[in-house]
Formats: sequence, C-alpha cells, structure tokens
Amino acid sequence: MELREFFNKDAIKLDLQGETKDDILKELIQILGLDEKSEGILFKMLKRRENLGSTGIGRGIAIPHCRSLVVNRLRVAFGRKPGGVDFKAIDGQPVYHFFLIVAPPLEVSNQYLPVLGKVAQFAKEPDVPRRLQELKTPEEFLQLIAEKAK
Amino acid sequence: MHPHLEILLQLQDLKAQRRELAEGGEVRRVEEEEFHVDLQEAIAKLDAKIEEMEAELPPDVRRRYRQIEGRGRAVVPVINGICYGCFVSIPTAVVAEIERNDAIRLCDHCGRILYGLR
Repeated sequence: MELREFFNKDAIKLDLQGETKDDILKELIQILGLDEKSEGILFKMLKRRENLGSTGIGRGIAIPHCRSLVVNRLRVAFGRKPGGVDFKAIDGQPVYHFFLIVAPPLEVSNQYLPVLGKVAQFAKEPDVPRRLQELKTPEEFLQLIAEKAK
Repeated sequence: MHPHLEILLQLQDLKAQRRELAEGGEVRRVEEEEFHVDLQEAIAKLDAKIEEMEAELPPDVRRRYRQIEGRGRAVVPVINGICYGCFVSIPTAVVAEIERNDAIRLCDHCGRILYGLR
C-alpha cells in the first residue's frame, strides 16, 4: 500500500486561511466536499477526538483523524497554514501542516489504520517539515509523498 | 436532518471510537504511542459524552436504540440502495425517502436505524 494513492490534487490546500484550531479543522473538512450537515457532524467528531489529546504530534505537524458515519470511504486531505496556528501540539509549538484522515466505522478494506500509521511515520522523517514548508504546488506534495511513504 | 437521527449518528461514531480505544488492537496502540493519548482518561471522557448524548434522546427513541444496539451496530448507512447492516437491497422508492434523513427509519430486514449516505 502506497500513501500516494490515497491523496489527490483536489484534496490539497497549501494556503489555509484559518487563524484558530477550529477554523483550520473546518477548512480541512470543507476540502472533502461533504454536505453542510455532514460537515457539522464531522467537525464535532474531530473536536471530540482533539479533546482526548491533540493530534498535533510536534515538529509543526498535526494529523486530525476519526471514524464517522458521514463518509462512505476513507477520505484524506492535506492543508498547510504558512503562518502556523496554535493547535495545542504536544511540543507546544505552532502547527503548519495538517493531514486530515476520516474513515467510516465499517471499512471493508480496512485502510484507516495503515494510512494513519503511514502518515505518522512520514511525519517523523527528519526533512519532512522543511520539505512541506517548501512546497509550491499540490503536485510537489504528491511527489514528496510518493518519494517518502512507500 | 432529523435532530434525533443526528444524535444517533454521533452516538454511533463515539461508540466506534470508544470501542477501538477500549478493545486493544492497533488503533489503541497508535493512539497511545503516536498521539500520547491517556487511554483511561479518554475512555472516561467518551463515556461521559455518550451518556450525555443518550440523555438528549426522547425516552422512546432511546429505548428503541438500546434494543437494536443489543444486537450490534444500531445505526448503519444506506449506500447505493444497500443496508450496510444486513447488506440487503432496499426498494428504490424507499431509498429516496431514507436519503432525506428527515425521520428515523428502520431497515425492514434487520431492524437497524438507517442513515442515507450519498
């Protein structure tokens, strides 16, 4: 399983506008193109997951994730906030890069956990924060994922 | 969306989350090791939220939900006309009604609460 196959260009936003954790979560959810009611439910679920402990894993990267009935398959998105936001990350530093991962509770192919694990591993690569910061286009993000997370 | 259906959906999501944290397995490991979640505290928080949300349901809906839940997942999506609880096909006219999500509807075959997902 390669991480690259789960991302597409339309689910990558390199100029998130939000200034708060809630704003960023909402903006990431919007990338998925759900209906308004589903967006609201998903936001609540992601917030509840964040209340259990921030998904900001340090080094400027967060991986908000949850399972929810409002999606019918695994959905992922990537967003970058150049100025960073306070995401209550474990290292107390601002977060610039966000990987959203949402899956239905019942998944035939059970991809949620492998994708979550691969993104977490990707985020630990020493040069990844710098390279994410340097991205100029969604295509470059896809190339980086293809190169690093095989 | 019907307000009680919205609560039921959230309850189902919360219980799925709780189950994964409580039952061990890889999700529990990832949450603990990668995200440093305090599992006991997290489960306690989820339990409190689940209790709070169940209390928001009217007694008759809550009673029915608990009855169905005793047999497994209580709320399931309908995708492409298939009930994802029993995987039985639902008549097209009924699917259109379910997809409005404006009432609590049960699967004629398995009795689970249906949520239309397009």
